[in-house]
Amino acid sequence: MSYSAAKNSQMQKKLRQEAKALLEQGKVDCIIGYEPGSLKHATTPLITKDKAATERLVINPFIVNNLSNFLPYTKGRIGIVAKGCDSRSIVSLIQDNKVKREDLFILGVPCSGLIDVSKVEALVGKYRDEIDDISRQGDIITVKVGAAKKEFSLSQVMFDNCLACELPTPAEYDVLLGEPTSPIGAAAESAGKLDELKAMTAAQRWAFWQNEFRRCTRCYACRNVCPACYCKRCFVDETEPQWLAPMPQEPDNLMFQIIRNLHVSGRCTDCGECERTCPVNIPLRALTRDMYDIVDELFEFKSGMDTKTQPLLTAYEVDEAEDLVK
Amino acid sequence: MTQDSEWEPRLLGLLCKWCSYAGADLAGTGRKKYPANIRIIKVPCSGRIDPLLIVKALRLGFDGVLVSGCHPGDCHYQTGNYRARRRLAITRKFLEGMGVDPRRLRATWVSASESGKFVEVVSDLVKDLKEIGPNELFGGKKQPDAEKAKTGS
Ligand code: SF4
Ligand code: SF4
Repeated sequence: MSYSAAKNSQMQKKLRQEAKALLEQGKVDCIIGYEPGSLKHATTPLITKDKAATERLVINPFIVNNLSNFLPYTKGRIGIVAKGCDSRSIVSLIQDNKVKREDLFILGVPCSGLIDVSKVEALVGKYRDEIDDISRQGDIITVKVGAAKKEFSLSQVMFDNCLACELPTPAEYDVLLGEPTSPIGAAAESAGKLDELKAMTAAQRWAFWQNEFRRCTRCYACRNVCPACYCKRCFVDETEPQWLAPMPQEPDNLMFQIIRNLHVSGRCTDCGECERTCPVNIPLRALTRDMYDIVDELFEFKSGMDTKTQPLLTAYEVDEAEDLVK
Repeated sequence: MTQDSEWEPRLLGLLCKWCSYAGADLAGTGRKKYPANIRIIKVPCSGRIDPLLIVKALRLGFDGVLVSGCHPGDCHYQTGNYRARRRLAITRKFLEGMGVDPRRLRATWVSASESGKFVEVVSDLVKDLKEIGPNELFGGKKQPDAEKAKTGS
């Protein structure tokens, strides 16, 4: 189904009605969704028990956060708004026994992809605040700055992970807020980055990552936004033994990110939250995407597809990966 | 890669208590000689090995890591080695993607009676590592001193 603003506002209307009814009928204790953000062309998570607040819920091409991140820390029955990628993270949390399916009411958003405002900023050479309007009709994105109007294609302005998305319509939901959508299927820049890395020698790849992680501030935002990183005590916080020096320095920054990726293997759905949140723009998806492909290649496993599947790292086959062992 | 002829690789062995550690022990009591390049840490089961231990060893400057557990079907806890195998396969592939020579991470199965195999595997890994050269991944020619490796700090 092609995207239209009218269809989108219908979806939003339906969401508000459903959310309000869920709270009124006591079917959920709270709703987790999106409301307009304080910046232009942005949204922010809304977590509320107040049924009047459901009027603030929005669905638009800027609902970027993966709200499943809040689930392990939220008590009671939860109504949660989920795009395709988010639904996979939710399924993964169910597989991991971190949340119970029956405690959730999933308000599924058939997603048409999200707009990466930083790409728009680069294309029009203006900051977010100076851009008056960003709208989408079909596969054309129209950007208005004052009287000037420019049109862009999806592959120019959508998030890389949206361009690579395999499952825009949620895998798991209680109500689907609109008609199912299909993958955009355009080539993403980040796939290019991974190909580029693969064409390099091993030494060049390592040097590339060393260089990238020189600017990591070890803010841990990538871990904190990650729905798969729910450990109450992360290895980075351990002191006996202390695995990393607390001061952000390249070797330990790099080690941190390697371990983080290994820890979330088979649970990471390549949703792109870590890359989006990184304040110093480290291309983290070149790592998460690689891991995503590796588990698929080795074990034909895709994270978060089905609540009945056993988590990758708790399962095994007797005959597998024997070529690893000498 | 320039190396002085003195250079000897150092490797960390993570050996499961029930099979491989006993196998290494048997090599000792049987007076079989294996390269002194290996430092051994006994783990309760190969399934206990968090990839963190492997990457930390590389961070500390070990040139290679040997993970060894019971043969498939022989795990004291039934399935620990199968789980370890999955994790190791992923770890090795991911590290390779980032630019680490996958030969730095070796996995093997050694039973309590296979002291000969243990000697062979260690010798072979040392040979490989001599070919690959010193681990300078995390910025260091510095070799870990025993104390540091112990406390992990
Ligand atoms: S990096 Fe590892 S230890 Fe830390 S929160 Fe993520 S999964 Fe847990
Ligand atoms: S978000 Fe970026 S800067 Fe912060 S810890 Fe992660 S990689 Fe480092």
